[in-house]
Amino acid sequence: MHGTTPLLTAINLRKTYVKYANRIEVLRGLDIDVAEGEFLSVIGNSGSGKSTMLHLLGTLDTPDDGCIHLEGRRIDNLPARDRDALRNRTFGFIFQFYHLLPEMNVLENVLAPAMITHSVWSWWRNKKELRKHAAEMLDKVGLGHRLTHQPRELSGGEMQRAAIARALINRPRVLLADEPTGNLDLANGQHIMKLLRDLNQFENLTIVMVTHNLDLVHETDRMVRIVDGRMDGQELSQPPVLAAAV
Amino acid sequence: MYKILLCWRYLKTRYLALACIISVMLGVATLIVVNSVMNGFSKKLQTLLHNVVSDVAIEAHSPNGFYDPLDKIATIRKDPYLNERIEAMAVTLDSFAMLQFYHRGSQETVTRPVRVMGIEMKSRSAVGGFQNYLQLQSQDAEPTFVVPPDIRARFAAVDKEWHDFHHRQFEQEIQRLRRLEEQKKKGDLVAPLPQRLDFEAGISPEMREFFSKLRKDRPAPPLTPPPAPVPFKPREPIGAIVGHLVANFKTRDEDNKVTDRAAMRHGDGIRLTTITIGQNMTPVYDDFVAIDFFKSGMSEYDANCIFIPLDQLQRLREMDNRATNILVKLKNQSDADDIVKAMAILFKGEPLTVNTWQEKQGPLLRAIEIEKNILNILLFMIVGVAGFGILAIFSMIVSEKTRDIGILKALGASSAGVMQIFLSYGLLLGIVGSLFGTILGVTITLNINAIELAIAAVTGQRIFDGSVYYFTEIPTELQPMAIVYMNLGAVGIAVVFSIIPALRAAMLHPVQALRYD
Repeated sequence: MHGTTPLLTAINLRKTYVKYANRIEVLRGLDIDVAEGEFLSVIGNSGSGKSTMLHLLGTLDTPDDGCIHLEGRRIDNLPARDRDALRNRTFGFIFQFYHLLPEMNVLENVLAPAMITHSVWSWWRNKKELRKHAAEMLDKVGLGHRLTHQPRELSGGEMQRAAIARALINRPRVLLADEPTGNLDLANGQHIMKLLRDLNQFENLTIVMVTHNLDLVHETDRMVRIVDGRMDGQELSQPPVLAAAV
Repeated sequence: MYKILLCWRYLKTRYLALACIISVMLGVATLIVVNSVMNGFSKKLQTLLHNVVSDVAIEAHSPNGFYDPLDKIATIRKDPYLNERIEAMAVTLDSFAMLQFYHRGSQETVTRPVRVMGIEMKSRSAVGGFQNYLQLQSQDAEPTFVVPPDIRARFAAVDKEWHDFHHRQFEQEIQRLRRLEEQKKKGDLVAPLPQRLDFEAGISPEMREFFSKLRKDRPAPPLTPPPAPVPFKPREPIGAIVGHLVANFKTRDEDNKVTDRAAMRHGDGIRLTTITIGQNMTPVYDDFVAIDFFKSGMSEYDANCIFIPLDQLQRLREMDNRATNILVKLKNQSDADDIVKAMAILFKGEPLTVNTWQEKQGPLLRAIEIEKNILNILLFMIVGVAGFGILAIFSMIVSEKTRDIGILKALGASSAGVMQIFLSYGLLLGIVGSLFGTILGVTITLNINAIELAIAAVTGQRIFDGSVYYFTEIPTELQPMAIVYMNLGAVGIAVVFSIIPALRAAMLHPVQALRYD
């Protein structure tokens, strides 16, 4: 079971996308806590802000307002270099459409985060170990026989498993999964969910999974719902500008 | 590491990049070939120029030359610094003249202006760049102006024939005068008017009688004998060395090939007409015999120059003990500038100019250099065009790879890292293109004459006609450093034109990139 200390905390997150004259207020003061070792599922309707929240938590994007803390350290206002490092080593991402790099084979895709971590010199020194580790990861997700295959040669489920192996290669603290089964059939979806469940249970990996499939949430520790850019049941906080005016 | 891997994979899988490589390759190859040919021409021209004009030349300010050239040479030899660095010197007299000869092509006597150079054969040969261009005496131990005996005998026979002809005419005239003398004694000497005028045919008998009487009344002319012919003495023909293109003209044969045809042959007589120096400018001429032909490859000399003995030109132009140039051959060419300075001090105040051969041919050499530089700039624009190709293709690749860029950023790749992928890609394309371009360019340059012949065999048209360009082969010279600079330039252009797409890739927002369709 997961501990009670929040590993990842987001307070009053606001995010508005502006395109020409259109303003879309996606997050409107969202708060969320993720405890260490927790398997949290986030549900909500399309456009409710689930993915945006995930991107903000994973430092892929920065909030307009609010703050995000990782183990008490604020991470949303870090310089780009530090945020890159966080994405590389602390967070692992899984996407609905797998997002494997078509120029690389399965093993190289899994090794990609490690290649980013290591300099050329360091890579050549640790290449053997890293390749071994990547092969083990692929073996763990059931793709030990597919190391040199190209992504286009894999099925959807296999590609997602390869993506999970890639997300885990640098031993991240938090796995951020954006509708990981959204593009898979039922059997493959269940396979992926079992994999995630096992990772959470046996390796104490913290997982935040965004989904709109209510059948999946029963397999997670906790479920939160996002409605109109904030947590369901959460009081609508005042935008900071209005609050300052009051 | 991911940058190198992706860069290499993009190179292998993106066939659009092949267009970039080919454009860089063709640009570099063109640069190398054109530059090598230009260098070859330039080098060949410089060699030819240097051979013809000697290391250092002392020139008179005036076309009337300077006095006592041998005294000048002695002055130079007295200077120990100059003496030990100078190998040979030659006095020459440069003049203009009108050439007259029987043109074997048009079969008539033609006249044309030429540049006559009076030289002393032994010293001129010692200075170099002369004997090896003579078509008949290049292998001789010592070239000479002496007319060969067979030609001299032919001229003597002609002279004898003319002499005999004049002698016969003289004898006939003497016989006629004797007959007239006898008639005069008899008193029936008539005026040497025609016995019957043309218009008398149609006139009246009275008028005919009048003309007959008129003839009888005409006083007898004085009987003065013609001057006695001089005793026969064959002329001593003087040899001349004629420029190859003075003695030949170019024409096309049945195969449309340009060939040389002789307008003048060995042993043909020529007449040079010039003027004496001074205010009177009396026209003077003398006859010479073409004993050899000068073919240096420099049309300026081959098409205009005639070399005759120095003393003959001095005599003809009444320029005894005068010359216009002293040609100097150095033991070491690198001393040329110092020698010129030393000579300038030695002849300070005298109407003489001392120049190295480069200074003397300065405008031409500079023109070639400028032409080469301009051509290089223009050709580099070809690589610039390749650069724009890289810009366009890279922009397309960045658009195509937008989602992959988003993935990389999601995995922790920095913007600088993403930028480096595309800059390295540009660098790699530049290196590969330049490498293949260098191989292609060097191969073409080394085999340019064979390629030219192959093209001529296919098209039936020579690209490089040796008879027109005066070289039998296309001259080339590969300069390794120039090739290095061209490669660096091409690679630099490839990288510079990659900057904009690379920046665009680096600045992509990861979330937007991941959502890109």
